[in-house]
Amino acid sequence: MSDLEAHLRKFQKELSTGTVSLALLAVLAKAPEPLYGYLIAKELERIGDGVLSGKQSALYPVLRNLEGAGLLESHVEPSVAGPPRRYYRINDDGRAALRQWIAAWDATRNSLESVLEGIT
Amino acid sequence: MNTENTPRALPTTIPEYLEQLRVALAGADPAMIQDALYDAEEYLRSELAEQAGKSEAEVIAGVAGSYGAPEEVAEIYRETEVTVSRALRTPGMRMTPAAVAAAAAAAATSTGTAVPPPPAPAGQRSLPARFFGVALDPHTYGALFYMLLSLATGTFFFTWVVTGLSLSVSLLILIIGIPILLLFLGSVRVLSLVEGRIIETMLGVRMPRRPAYTDKSQSWLARIGAMFSDVRTWLTMLYFLLMLPLGTLYFTIATTLLSLSLALMFAPLARLFVDQPVGIWIDGVNVAAGFWLWPVSVAVGALLLFATLHLARGIGQLHGAMAKQLLVRL
Repeated sequence: MSDLEAHLRKFQKELSTGTVSLALLAVLAKAPEPLYGYLIAKELERIGDGVLSGKQSALYPVLRNLEGAGLLESHVEPSVAGPPRRYYRINDDGRAALRQWIAAWDATRNSLESVLEGIT
Repeated sequence: MNTENTPRALPTTIPEYLEQLRVALAGADPAMIQDALYDAEEYLRSELAEQAGKSEAEVIAGVAGSYGAPEEVAEIYRETEVTVSRALRTPGMRMTPAAVAAAAAAAATSTGTAVPPPPAPAGQRSLPARFFGVALDPHTYGALFYMLLSLATGTFFFTWVVTGLSLSVSLLILIIGIPILLLFLGSVRVLSLVEGRIIETMLGVRMPRRPAYTDKSQSWLARIGAMFSDVRTWLTMLYFLLMLPLGTLYFTIATTLLSLSLALMFAPLARLFVDQPVGIWIDGVNVAAGFWLWPVSVAVGALLLFATLHLARGIGQLHGAMAKQLLVRL
């Protein structure tokens, strides 16, 4: 039983590596204003299920990587609650990447659905 | 949320949580630890502010499910760092032994995952390939540019520290010296972060992307005291003072060797454009008037240029290691 569980965990991890980036870009593309890590995590928690509801600490390094790749921009603002917060905003490169990623995702999902069709 | 067995009891306060996270990350890259602590604190403080009615212990118990327990968070950061550094590494670059060990450790933890074999060790590449391959390494040019830039940044840092320190210390007799001293100490931290970003961009040494973690639960006075007793504050100032002589040295080495090697390489070309006898002049005597010396000059110039690139990369690595020692909190 634990073997099956381990397989599932590994599968979820592999599934999440790409999809989390896509989800983060999408959340930031839809957001009317810049968001900081905690708000993004909460937003994903609210709408997300499956692999997206994984540990939220994993989101922070991905956000940093997306910024490093030039798809996001960020600025720091002081906060009353704790350390200064880093607010992330999607830029034009990010939007262009998101459009391509959505197309890739749609193609993947469609072909996966047709492969999975009929399996109970 | 899946319930996982945590080896240790859940912390009840945010500083405890961060301390456990620091312990769980022990041995990892100090710069990565600093970032991880910063991210965790942002999340925890936000959660605490959000759920105003609950106690700190309750909030942390909830967070262990959503954000992850300290051990899980440490695991996530370790894995992500390895994946990212592997993805960002340009093919053909050599892996440092530390990176190889980290990748091997990650492969061992993720059971059954197919991990690509590490790139062939450098010893298998031929000597000329290794000598000229330096030109393909982006960090070579980063280091070269850093050497040229360090004269400006070094002068600035040195001036800033000397001015700030002498101004605030001499004004301490008046009460106004105290706020100036505090502002100055704060500015040193910010500059340390800035220099870290420059070093990571140009020299490829992982440096913090977030300011140093400070314990927000302490009073203002305690935090100010911690700034004085923190050895990093003083090491950072030492680094900034060192940057003036080092920057001058780096700039001199870079400009001298670059201009010498480029001049040697393009000396024959100059003959075509300049109506002057070309050669190597020592005491008014042209020791290289003959045609046969031209290819020699080009070859020597090219060799010197590549040797300069090697030197620049070496200096970049040395300087990066030194900056890491002096600027990053362990």
